[in-house]
Amino acid sequence: MSPNILQKYSTGNFHFPIKSGIDNILVNKDSILEVTQKIKEDEDLLYDQLIDITVTDNMLSKSSYSNERFTLIYSFLSLKFNKRLFIFTNISEDNLDINSITQIFESADWFERECYDLFGINFVNHPNLQRIMNDYNFQGHPLRKDFPLTGYEEVRYDENLKKVVYEPVTLKQEFRDFDSESPWEGMKETIKEELEKK
Amino acid sequence: MSENFKPVTLNFGPQHPAAHGVLRLLVQLEGEVVNKAEPHIGLLHRGTEKLIEQKTYTQAIPYFDRLDYVSPMCQEHAFALAVENLLNIEAPKRAQYIRVMFAEVTRILNHLLNIPAFAMDIGAATPMLWAFEEREKMLEFHEAVSGARFHAAYFRPGGVHQDLPENLLEKMKKYFTNFPKFIDTLEELLTENRIFKQRSVDIGILKKDDAKRLSCSGPVLRASGVAWDLRKSQPYDVYEDLDFDIPVGKTGDTYDRYLVRMEEMRESVKIILQCIENIPEGPVMVENNKITPPKRSEMKNSMEAIIHHFKLFTEGYRVPEGITYKSVEAPKGEFGVVLISDGSSKPYRCKLRAPGFVHLQALHFLSKGHQLADVPSILGSLDIVFGEVDR
Repeated sequence: MSPNILQKYSTGNFHFPIKSGIDNILVNKDSILEVTQKIKEDEDLLYDQLIDITVTDNMLSKSSYSNERFTLIYSFLSLKFNKRLFIFTNISEDNLDINSITQIFESADWFERECYDLFGINFVNHPNLQRIMNDYNFQGHPLRKDFPLTGYEEVRYDENLKKVVYEPVTLKQEFRDFDSESPWEGMKETIKEELEKK
Repeated sequence: MSENFKPVTLNFGPQHPAAHGVLRLLVQLEGEVVNKAEPHIGLLHRGTEKLIEQKTYTQAIPYFDRLDYVSPMCQEHAFALAVENLLNIEAPKRAQYIRVMFAEVTRILNHLLNIPAFAMDIGAATPMLWAFEEREKMLEFHEAVSGARFHAAYFRPGGVHQDLPENLLEKMKKYFTNFPKFIDTLEELLTENRIFKQRSVDIGILKKDDAKRLSCSGPVLRASGVAWDLRKSQPYDVYEDLDFDIPVGKTGDTYDRYLVRMEEMRESVKIILQCIENIPEGPVMVENNKITPPKRSEMKNSMEAIIHHFKLFTEGYRVPEGITYKSVEAPKGEFGVVLISDGSSKPYRCKLRAPGFVHLQALHFLSKGHQLADVPSILGSLDIVFGEVDR
């Protein structure tokens, strides 16, 4: 299988080291339908299985592989050629719309619902874009980096009201967020300053 | 059917013994025929992916045991492989053999839960009792190596946590040489059983093209006649050197899925016995104290070892920037980990690709047009565990 065919669909290079030798292309989000259709039908590619759709929130990323807030990662598998493919698409915070690929890959249904639920990506033309993991009336998108780990609401059964009640989260102990990342780095800097003074 | 007949919507679960956990299924019935089956999942959602982002790589391992809680070690395997890939290291040969051996023990454990549970759903109670006795014996092997029956946290990036205890290999050899006899007795109970066959043959047929279209993997895909197994097609660890076959089904009904799992157990026994035969001596962990903790004995008289130990269990090891995807053939299908590292000691993003999530999606397609009583049969044959579906 030649990478040239893949490059035809690519709209740029994804500047991030991809290990494990999986082919990958970066496509414009407007052409996602067109590209997925082609890689599925192209005789030399035949990526007929959709393995996964996932999102990463680039908000806190130290590495600058994407200027946009979200990166969608589509993962495909070709059973015939025993090959895997990643398709990356960038999505900006201002416009969370992207075309749903459910009409091409039926199994994208729940994957897209999951991305909607956890990240708030809006898949246009999805048959049933509802929350899938979270509670029916849940607010927010928990896997975004600005969503706190403890969440905003907690539930309990109220014996007097005889029903489940929602309350703001109260932590029984302080949230422990250890920043143990190399205290030694700081020391090195101080030592350097002292050395320079001498 | 009369004109004024209205379809009934039935709430199946979330608390129902045949729902295999917390599945809420909205079934639309026309008489007794299923029109539409809409699974509502997420009742066991614990935010595993979010929690992993807050933990170091070592601390993330136990979460993998709690995904598909009947096949814990296979999932640790995927994570260990992914981290090893980003770190650019390879586990020593002995560790690879141990991992493969215990991945297969886990596979048998998983099938020994699924098959009798499926049989129980359609009316056979005895296999459950028999299989649980054998499971308990196998869990002793889990306990011997890791100290825990289920939540093992045994496969670590760079190898396995500790070496096998003395005599374990002999015990395992003795047990697994005799194990096929148990599979025979289990088959005597089920394979030609009239009631069992009436309830499972030609129920929930998944044709080859449909299985591919619905992204099925593992035994579900193989029962539909697709000879696809990641242990053969994209081998990891020492699967390449081992000799085993891939059982493939014909029609893709629930009965075929049962047969494929039964045959897979025999192949697993073959793999385990080969591993016991060929396992080399040597270390079970990468001997690089920047990644793996030093030995206890070393820490008694080496300052450097103590520093390494302290750094590894506070900050953890740093993983170079990169994206990787590693998948293993878990008992239920393809279990994969998309791991993104930004160079720190915590995963930036860790997406878990669970086979059950995809299979449950196919439930509507499989049960449409069947009777309500067939839904538990189909559900049981898909091997759903909510720990991994809801994550």
